[in-house]
Amino acid sequence: MSATGGKEGGKRRCSLLLRPYVSRTLFTAAVCTYTQPRSLVVLLPSSSSRTTSVSHGGPRGAHQRSRQTTSVLGCHSRRSLGGSKVLEKNVVQTSRQAVRVFDEVNNDVTPQPLYQADPGAVQPMLFVDEMSVGSASDQPTATGSFTLPFSRSVFGSSRISSQSTTESVDDEDMFSKRDIPLSFPDVKVKKDTEKEQVTEDMLKNITEVFISETDTFSLLDMPSTFVCVDADEAEATIARNHQYEEVCRVSRDKHVERSVQTLTGTTKNKHVQSNGLMVVDAATNVTVCDMYEPLSDAEQEETAGICNPVKTDHLEGVTDSSRGADRSVSVGSTATTVSASGSLKEVEVKALNAETQWKLIMLSDKFQLCLQTVERSILQNSFHPQLAAYRQLPVLGDPECPVKNEMVDQRTGGTDGGPSLQCLWVFSCELSRGRSVSCMTWNRKNPDLLAVGHGEFDSGNQKPGLVSCWSIKNLKWPEHVIHCDSAVTALDFSANSPSQLAVGTHDGSITIHGVHSQDNRSRGVSSRESPNRHLGPVWQLRWTQQQVSSTGEEKVEALLSVGADGRISKWFFFKDGLDCIDLMKLRRIQNTEIQTGGKRTEMMTERVLTALTPGLCFDFHPTDSSIYLTGTWEGLIHQCSCSNSQQFLETYRKHFCPVNCVAWSPFNPDVFLSCSSDWTIQLWKQHHLKPVLGFTSAQKAVYDIEWSPKWPTVFGAVTEGQLEIWDLSLSILDPVIVQPAAPGVRMTSLLFSSQADCVVVGDTDGHVTVYQLKNLSVGEQSQVDVLEDLICSAASR
Amino acid sequence: MAEVEETLKRIQGQKGVQGIIVANSEGIPIKSTLDNSSTVQYAGLIHQLVMKARSTIRDIDPQNDLTFMRVRSKKNEIMIAPDKDFFLIVI
Repeated sequence: MSATGGKEGGKRRCSLLLRPYVSRTLFTAAVCTYTQPRSLVVLLPSSSSRTTSVSHGGPRGAHQRSRQTTSVLGCHSRRSLGGSKVLEKNVVQTSRQAVRVFDEVNNDVTPQPLYQADPGAVQPMLFVDEMSVGSASDQPTATGSFTLPFSRSVFGSSRISSQSTTESVDDEDMFSKRDIPLSFPDVKVKKDTEKEQVTEDMLKNITEVFISETDTFSLLDMPSTFVCVDADEAEATIARNHQYEEVCRVSRDKHVERSVQTLTGTTKNKHVQSNGLMVVDAATNVTVCDMYEPLSDAEQEETAGICNPVKTDHLEGVTDSSRGADRSVSVGSTATTVSASGSLKEVEVKALNAETQWKLIMLSDKFQLCLQTVERSILQNSFHPQLAAYRQLPVLGDPECPVKNEMVDQRTGGTDGGPSLQCLWVFSCELSRGRSVSCMTWNRKNPDLLAVGHGEFDSGNQKPGLVSCWSIKNLKWPEHVIHCDSAVTALDFSANSPSQLAVGTHDGSITIHGVHSQDNRSRGVSSRESPNRHLGPVWQLRWTQQQVSSTGEEKVEALLSVGADGRISKWFFFKDGLDCIDLMKLRRIQNTEIQTGGKRTEMMTERVLTALTPGLCFDFHPTDSSIYLTGTWEGLIHQCSCSNSQQFLETYRKHFCPVNCVAWSPFNPDVFLSCSSDWTIQLWKQHHLKPVLGFTSAQKAVYDIEWSPKWPTVFGAVTEGQLEIWDLSLSILDPVIVQPAAPGVRMTSLLFSSQADCVVVGDTDGHVTVYQLKNLSVGEQSQVDVLEDLICSAASR
Repeated sequence: MAEVEETLKRIQGQKGVQGIIVANSEGIPIKSTLDNSSTVQYAGLIHQLVMKARSTIRDIDPQNDLTFMRVRSKKNEIMIAPDKDFFLIVI
């Protein structure tokens, strides 16, 4: 600014009166005498130093106001504003009274600040517009190159010189010119306000607009190095200038004026290359179960104390296969469910021997369970119709399979005939083949389980016995096999603890086994060491539930047995084994005299020899569990009581051969059946010392007899050569169904199934056959009544 | 252990059983009575099926788990007993 001022001064020196007015900004007036630019200061964009592109301002100032050197003052602040992007808002309020400039003719040519702090107006734009009003050059950017201002001054000077010739000297014109840009903000403001309420009516209205000048905001205040002549410091500045000139003059030799140019270094491009980052996308699908597992297992692991070091050890133990095997075992057994660790496991496992893995799997319980399930399913597939018949489920015909249709036809054909037996399947396996079936019993709790005792006791040689527990679900292999030392003669499942099976053997010992699937090798509690054990074969065992005493709630169960040594004993746990107390001794009775003739009194004299007769069977009264019947070798049936161990309550005589089995009727508590080797079956009524009815069909010994649990008048009997089903409502002379045994095989035992209309028959070949009863017609009237009637009618004969 | 072998033999000897495959939890067959290619094929495919089925069951109820699966087709039936460490396939 001062440059132009200086230059201007060369052309036209007019002194302007500067009337200082209060202003916070520093105004320095240019001293017109200096033609050369005193300082060319490069404007730095972010510098806080008060520099200004002086040359910048110069042409502007000249532009705007021709050659008025007064432009310095006002320009200064404006230029500084225009020159720098960094608007340092020096909140300097310039009041208009500070400096007022008047020219020769005392016109007030006080430069008005171009910049008026209008709050809403587009001020920078305004400013730019102002700049561009008279300028042809580019915007005053602060970021211009550093050399620009320098060159500007050169241009500026040339421009000025050119302009000086063109522009008129007329101040007023300039003044007006100046006013034009000055009024721009005002005008613009006006325009804005007018635009708000533009209606035709409003346009006609004369609105009064009050224009007032706002305070001057000094955004950047860089004090000029020029001082006004009239300023206070003028003298001081002039003095200093003179002084400086003196110094320069004096030390001309020492000081050489020299211009310096900073060299801009050449830029050097440097390339840096780095390895590309490998980006790997990892994604996983997580389902609800995946989220649930770690949560639940984490809780378990916390308590179990299985910790991560086990997993981390994996990586180290890869090389050592044996160690790796152990690790994998531990990992396999720990509940690691995180998939990442699972993949580690995979690596481990693959490195392992397949053998060890196979062993691990085989040893796990779950595998066995799976195998079992699979086996059962397969068998179920094969034996589907039979099982369905057993379960009394209808077999749906498979439309695609022709075989099933045949079965259906057979079935329909069967219904036409009379009562018959249909063989459903046979329980047999290699283990049991050849061993005669001696006894069978159902599990009390699980009606699918059948325990079969094998043992040859008729012949002399003592083969080890076998108990095989079969399940309906697996028809080909017993669930559980117990090997016994001697032939098994009696079996019974406990009712209170359904997995306990009491096994009585030929050598007189009773063993209680737990029939769990895994427990094959454990020996049950045995009575072998007991001093009171039976000396002969135990012919029958029974778990009975004694009457509930007043104190206890649970029914106490007692194991009772009858053995060939003539004792009926009650067993209980004693130390490691069993011990018994005798309930009854079966004394040999021989009646010397029989007084017949209607009266049923018989004289019984006891022999001096109190030999005991083997008891072959016993049965407890269905309702009164303290009364029981015992069949003896002599053919006598004694009715006894648990409380009375000395005397028999009753003795029933009819048979003259050993009584093989007695059975109370489950429907009629007064009636019981007995079968004997004398080819007869007798039906007795309690307290009647003569049998009510007797049945004979085959001339063979009857080994086993049982009432049907479903029909009161039906019972089954097994003789040596055949299975007979008797229905008393139909016929009392002949059995309703006769099923001959397979040739060469004798049937030995019989069981009715409680679940289905099936009969289970065991034979000497070790086979257990399941037959289904068909078409046993059940009469309408209550069977029990029929039985009663029969008995009454028979008794009256 | 001998029992397990016995049971396997029994199953194999049942009527209608074509083969048994025991595979570990990743679907790699460990023991098989079929030829190699079928074994690998069955194990791989069934492994995927089991995973899918198991995740289905567990999505519905996280406390539930798959215990047994039977796939019946026109020609045969595949029984799968899955477990955490292994699964057993019987055809």
